[in-house]
Amino acid sequence: MGIPLFITVLLIAACGLIYELIAGTLASYLLGDSVLQFSTIIGCYLFAMGIGSALSRYIDRGLAYRFVWIELLLGVVGGFSSALLFLAFAYTQGFQLLMYALVVVIGILVGLEIPLLMRIIRDRYHFRDVIAHVLTFDYLGALGASLLFPILLVPYLGLVRSAMLFGIVNVAVALWSTFLFAKQLASVRALRVVCIVVLCGLGIGLGEAKRITMAAEDNIYADEIIFARDTRYQHIVLTRFKDDIRLFLSSHLQFSSRDEYRYHEALIHPGLSAIPVPRHVLVLGGGDGLAVREILKYPQIESITLVDLDPEMTRLFSTHPMLTALNRKSFSSPKVHIINADAFPWVDSNTDSFDFIVIDFPDPTNYSLGKLYTTAFYKAAARHLSAQGLMVVQSTSPMFARDSYWCIAETLKQAGLRTYPYHVYVPSFGEWGFVIAGYREYQYPTSLPAGLRFINLDGLPGLFQFPPDMSPLPMPPNRLNDQVLVRAYDQDWKDISH
Amino acid sequence: MRTSRREFLQSASAALIGLSIKGGKPVEGSFVNDSFHLGHQLRDRINFPRPTQVVKRTVVIVGGGIAGLSAAWRLHKKGFTDFALLEMNDQAGGNSRWGVNEITAYPWAAHYVPVPGPKVTYVRELFEDLGVLKNGQWEERYLCFSPQERLFLYGRWQEGIEPAIGLTTADRDQFRRLEDHIHTFRASGKFTVPMELGLSASSADLDHMSFADWLRSQRMDSRILNWYMNYCCRDDYGATTSNTSAWAGIQYFASREPEEKGPLTWPEGNGWIVRRILERVGKFVNSNRMVYKILKRGKGFTVSAGDTEYQADFVIFAAPTFLAPYVVEGMTPLHDFEYSPWLTANLTLEHLPNSYGADPTWDSVFMESPTLGYVDATHQSVRSHVDRTVWTFYWALADGLPSENRQLLLNKDWSYWKEAILHDLERVHPDIRTCVSRIDIMRMGHAMARPKVGAIFSAERRNLAKAHGRLLFANSDLSGFSIFEEAQYRGVYAADRVLSQVVGEEGRTH
Repeated sequence: MGIPLFITVLLIAACGLIYELIAGTLASYLLGDSVLQFSTIIGCYLFAMGIGSALSRYIDRGLAYRFVWIELLLGVVGGFSSALLFLAFAYTQGFQLLMYALVVVIGILVGLEIPLLMRIIRDRYHFRDVIAHVLTFDYLGALGASLLFPILLVPYLGLVRSAMLFGIVNVAVALWSTFLFAKQLASVRALRVVCIVVLCGLGIGLGEAKRITMAAEDNIYADEIIFARDTRYQHIVLTRFKDDIRLFLSSHLQFSSRDEYRYHEALIHPGLSAIPVPRHVLVLGGGDGLAVREILKYPQIESITLVDLDPEMTRLFSTHPMLTALNRKSFSSPKVHIINADAFPWVDSNTDSFDFIVIDFPDPTNYSLGKLYTTAFYKAAARHLSAQGLMVVQSTSPMFARDSYWCIAETLKQAGLRTYPYHVYVPSFGEWGFVIAGYREYQYPTSLPAGLRFINLDGLPGLFQFPPDMSPLPMPPNRLNDQVLVRAYDQDWKDISH
Repeated sequence: MRTSRREFLQSASAALIGLSIKGGKPVEGSFVNDSFHLGHQLRDRINFPRPTQVVKRTVVIVGGGIAGLSAAWRLHKKGFTDFALLEMNDQAGGNSRWGVNEITAYPWAAHYVPVPGPKVTYVRELFEDLGVLKNGQWEERYLCFSPQERLFLYGRWQEGIEPAIGLTTADRDQFRRLEDHIHTFRASGKFTVPMELGLSASSADLDHMSFADWLRSQRMDSRILNWYMNYCCRDDYGATTSNTSAWAGIQYFASREPEEKGPLTWPEGNGWIVRRILERVGKFVNSNRMVYKILKRGKGFTVSAGDTEYQADFVIFAAPTFLAPYVVEGMTPLHDFEYSPWLTANLTLEHLPNSYGADPTWDSVFMESPTLGYVDATHQSVRSHVDRTVWTFYWALADGLPSENRQLLLNKDWSYWKEAILHDLERVHPDIRTCVSRIDIMRMGHAMARPKVGAIFSAERRNLAKAHGRLLFANSDLSGFSIFEEAQYRGVYAADRVLSQVVGEEGRTH
């Protein structure tokens, strides 16, 4: 009788500590400031245990029956605590409230456990032995849990599954108790059925834990999410923090509304203002309409053709009030023609000619995107240039991805174009680079549209100067059959992060 | 309406179970392009109906594969138009046939040409004509896109097909020694593309042993090296190292400079080349015309095909040479020609399977598989987003006797091969069955010539390969193995031989 009982004590002690550690770790992961999180959680938890202990004196009948129920409840609340917290963080604003509520509920239940157990078994042993044994195993259980948690549970199971596993332990203790205390229980069979049903529930939870974490993690971004959608092509996420709207495409930051004017003015005006009479403009990529907003500052422009792969993206930036405020309803302009198509085949099959071509694709993070940065693509795009035409290419960062930047410049050169590389500072991106390219010579513009916040005529020549840490590197061109750019880009960012 | 607790539990558990079951889709498909019944008509010498019309042509080309089409291309390019090409199937192209569905064009067999070196002049000439080679530059869109190849081994993918991970010091040493040998063979100039140019009696010894024996004699017993050698022989010859001549095994490596940035390829494989050649000479091509009799008549020949008797001064026999004794009157049976049976399949995928995070490549090979893996037909697309695609799956039945494997090809039904293919793919893509909607399978009993021991220096082969007289043989099997450059070389060579004779005769008559 003795050993099984004290194993029970050891197990419930371990469970209690695990839930507390999980709450602390989760809060540290998601909110940061681990000292604050662990301190407040341990404090709340111990305090709630005190409440539980205090409440235990009001329970005077059916001790074993209530003990089984407490174990069941702990199993459910503790077992699902981690999953609930993840989902709450991802989908609601009440993460902290829920977290402290859970910590308090678990603390109260754990606080009830030991006093009740001691009273259940007090008739079997000397009081002295009860205290000594119960507390010994209680502390032993805590030691076991605190070692198990960082060494095995977090690395191999993760937080969601660890919680589920210990929920199962709690319920198993409940089931086990129906045998241990069978004599003190009236409705043993009903209790066992409940235990088994709850066990199944937690078992399913354990199996589906990965899905839960994925669902939650997909939605965890630093700021409030105002839009999140998986389209056929990418994962679009819009976040807002105070007045800063940010767009992420498949987890890569595309713009921050606080400083995107720097990026888009720099992308458009140095090139477009240098064209004597621009009438027709082509934008490849740029589904956020921000480049188009800048292009519309030239009244003489008659048509803007925008080719973006993702219809969800252009629809979002045509309709969402917060976003149309940002792009000043540029997609509603009668001059703008939106075409949702894959850029390379479109460029191949279309025969129109343009005075200015804006190439603004996501960074070359994979071989599919890398095709849009090849000599073959630039040759195909350049066929659309009119006699006075120029194009501008978003070319990654000459600072953080120096190899990649100069690889893109070299690729344009090998496509038979003259190149004019320049760079600007965009706070949310850091140093960012572009290349103006064309068959003709580029000369600085002599006038700019009114009302620009960043680009001015005096500052323009400075953008084309590269300090030594961003100066040209000899790089091979990126070709369809030898995509050196994708490898260089990958390496550049690896170098930064290590 | 209230739901009872029981009903609620039932529907809830059904929903949970439903979430965890993966849906397997039914796979459609059939055998396609079967042509063995035509071959068997020749073999069994059935009675063909008598021709009802007579057509006179100076030159008749028998067979519309790469050899025959190259002969036609050459004649036409030299301004000679008095010829006809007769093709047994309804589609010309031979081993370079292709198919098209709503997703993409795809190959049925040969799917690439290695970037030809400076000595492969006929191929370079063809590629200049087709716009593949412009001002000494290869058209970027026709070079295989990055990333080219990957190999699945030890539960993961590596870039490139030559095994590079999990090698022991002994393995590395043997790979290095092999490389040294290859380098020496290459430098000797005796292993060339086309093979006839460099062939030297001093390397005849190598043709008298199997490649496996040669590797053994060089103390190259590394399991991984031998797997790779075997893979190469299966890929180019449809044979294992033990039924390949050592000369041919060495030729595979020593005849070409190691080149990284090729090969040349198209969605429909070498079918693209066929299409471009057909744009030029298609009007001379008569399909569904199986030649069943070639008789010597005076200086020339009568060639019977279907309802037509062609009277020709010259015949270029570009069909597989093993067919010739069944067709050419008075020709003695051949002994030194052996052919490997193959199976290829085109799989329609509704979406890409899980690849353990590896980037999709053009060619995917699995270590320790009897098959040759698959090639992705949409890899050469410039699109940046592809969801549906077609994979061409290659399987040379290299192990065992070709005749027994041919029986196996004929006897097993479509679902047997479908299951075998899916089973093989499942080892690297466990979810493949949720992706595939269609599998069409092409069986080829005599897919490619097999350079067995003694095949290269066979007197029979060398005699037929001379292409002299008025009946000229031109199939790639006269090189001992079936690759594009050999077929093209023999086709062009035969056409040139014919032209020089025609010009000579015209010179005498005028």
